[in-house]
Amino acid sequence: MRTTLTIALLFTAVVALCSFIKQKAKPRNPGTPVAFVVPKGWPAIKYNLDSNGLTKEGIALGRRLFYDGRLSKDGQFPCASCHQPFAAMANFDHNLSHGFDNQFTTRNAPSLANLAWQTAFHWDGGINHLDAQPLAPITAPNEMAEDIGTLLAKLKKDSLYPSLFRAAFGSKIINTQRMTRALSQFLLTMVSANSKYDKVMRGEDSFILPQKLGYEIFKLKCAACHPEPFFTDFSYRNNGLTLDPVLKDYGRMRITGNSSDSLKFKVPSLRNVYVTYPYMHDGRLTGLYDVLEHYNKKMVVGPTTDSLLQNKIPLSNFEKGQLVAFLVALTDTSFTKDPRFSQPPGVPSSLFCAPGHHLR
Amino acid sequence: MWGLKTKLMVLQALLLLALGSPAQKSKKESPILNNITISFENKVGGQLLDMDSVYQNAFGEAFTVTQFKYYISNISFNDAAGKEAKIPDTYFLINQQDSAGKSITISTPLSVITGINFLIGIDSIKNVSGVQTGVLDPLNGMFWTWSTGYIMAKLEAVSPVSKAPQSRVTYHIGGFTAPYNAVKKISLPLGSLLQLHPANISRISISADINKWFSGASDIRIADHNFCMNPGSLSNAIAANYAAMFSIQSISLSK
Repeated sequence: MRTTLTIALLFTAVVALCSFIKQKAKPRNPGTPVAFVVPKGWPAIKYNLDSNGLTKEGIALGRRLFYDGRLSKDGQFPCASCHQPFAAMANFDHNLSHGFDNQFTTRNAPSLANLAWQTAFHWDGGINHLDAQPLAPITAPNEMAEDIGTLLAKLKKDSLYPSLFRAAFGSKIINTQRMTRALSQFLLTMVSANSKYDKVMRGEDSFILPQKLGYEIFKLKCAACHPEPFFTDFSYRNNGLTLDPVLKDYGRMRITGNSSDSLKFKVPSLRNVYVTYPYMHDGRLTGLYDVLEHYNKKMVVGPTTDSLLQNKIPLSNFEKGQLVAFLVALTDTSFTKDPRFSQPPGVPSSLFCAPGHHLR
Repeated sequence: MWGLKTKLMVLQALLLLALGSPAQKSKKESPILNNITISFENKVGGQLLDMDSVYQNAFGEAFTVTQFKYYISNISFNDAAGKEAKIPDTYFLINQQDSAGKSITISTPLSVITGINFLIGIDSIKNVSGVQTGVLDPLNGMFWTWSTGYIMAKLEAVSPVSKAPQSRVTYHIGGFTAPYNAVKKISLPLGSLLQLHPANISRISISADINKWFSGASDIRIADHNFCMNPGSLSNAIAANYAAMFSIQSISLSK
């Protein structure tokens, strides 16, 4: 009697536990799981991997889509036309990028590093989820100019994509959600955490004197808006750039409808800043010295200019030199040269993805 | 003997714990479900909407509708006691140009209903959770790609008083966060008890009057406002107006 009861109790406990675990289990993507590695000392990522776990197949599909010109109306503008590996996934030497029918984009293409920690995208923060982000450039008439339905029809007709979607998501179904989730998987792998600065922080390297001095100046004069380890606090601020009369871009105000957000833009990360020139939301400043001179003297204090910039940021020529030395140490060549982010084999080569090659 | 009694009680408790959720689940699934078809009849004033006809709003402004779409979601029914019973995962896109897209069939364990509630628009959770499928797929043209969020309702028309190119009227209404939240909860009492039965099909016909977009809480004259394409005070005002466009037209029960 006693033994039977104990066994019954044990069995019931196991059943209870199993049903509890079963309730907690979430659907996973099929395929070969890929672990997301958070660099030492960094916070947990913001992207929810529970609904879109990384797999080898999902990442490969996302990479292919990222380089495929057919995501654009005329086939000429893959994501990679404005986001190039050697420019840390920004657009090399372009203040504004080129899109469909010889049109300019209205903003400078940002670097795509460390998106897993971001909760809002675009210079104005208008996009609230990484999965929804690609739909903006894909459908913008001056960028990729494509209709989502037409684009999905192109992918469905392709000889390869149906099987790639099956490998990544379990069936041949191709829809907007799967396409954007695959792109997210690829984008999430773009982690930049191996610059000289990171090596110094890990005790594997040491700064040369100008970098060391620059780091001290940086912590004193720049880090309030560009804190480590992301070198941005992801906030929206007016840093004293006047309204461009042609672009008429009021930034964050377009999203919130609040006049106190006029001319505020997202504080960009400074990781790989040396290779992501030109700078600012419209690429109006060409080099790092132009940026420092903007904060030192040229910026204009207006009604919504950030409280930290009311007196600008006075910088001596010496300080500027040391700061630039430090900023260069944020360049992560293991990121810019990572073969995982390069054009995958089998995707038709695009002129636009070659270093220094001008569009058209 | 006392120890055995305790053990039995523990066993009973654990059994309840183990089987509690599946038992509840099967209890929820086991009752007979009754089907209700809810159809939406789009109108202008008292007339059925016809895309070729010219109508007039309360200000005497003429217009011809070229597109009329809206989301109906989070449907619930009031039971005999007036208590709301939610129907999970209910998202529908009512599209004037899609003849199959104007009626919804849903199941409920309720046997008597006294009212219907729904959102015109999409709840905030679905607006912040990435890219969805089905009627919520962004390819349905009811999604802002530049400022993430669903277009809750869309009315496009042409009107001689519109100052926009081609005399167009474009009202894309959305926004899901304060202060620009266009999601409206609609509650429509049936006015009587509707007895449901598994052998019958119960039908609730709801009419939606486009003229309510222009007047009600605020006057929206086409001459003043020919477009609204982002969350904001105009979008709020139009949503507050159209929240009054629905009314129960008929209730029927057929074998």
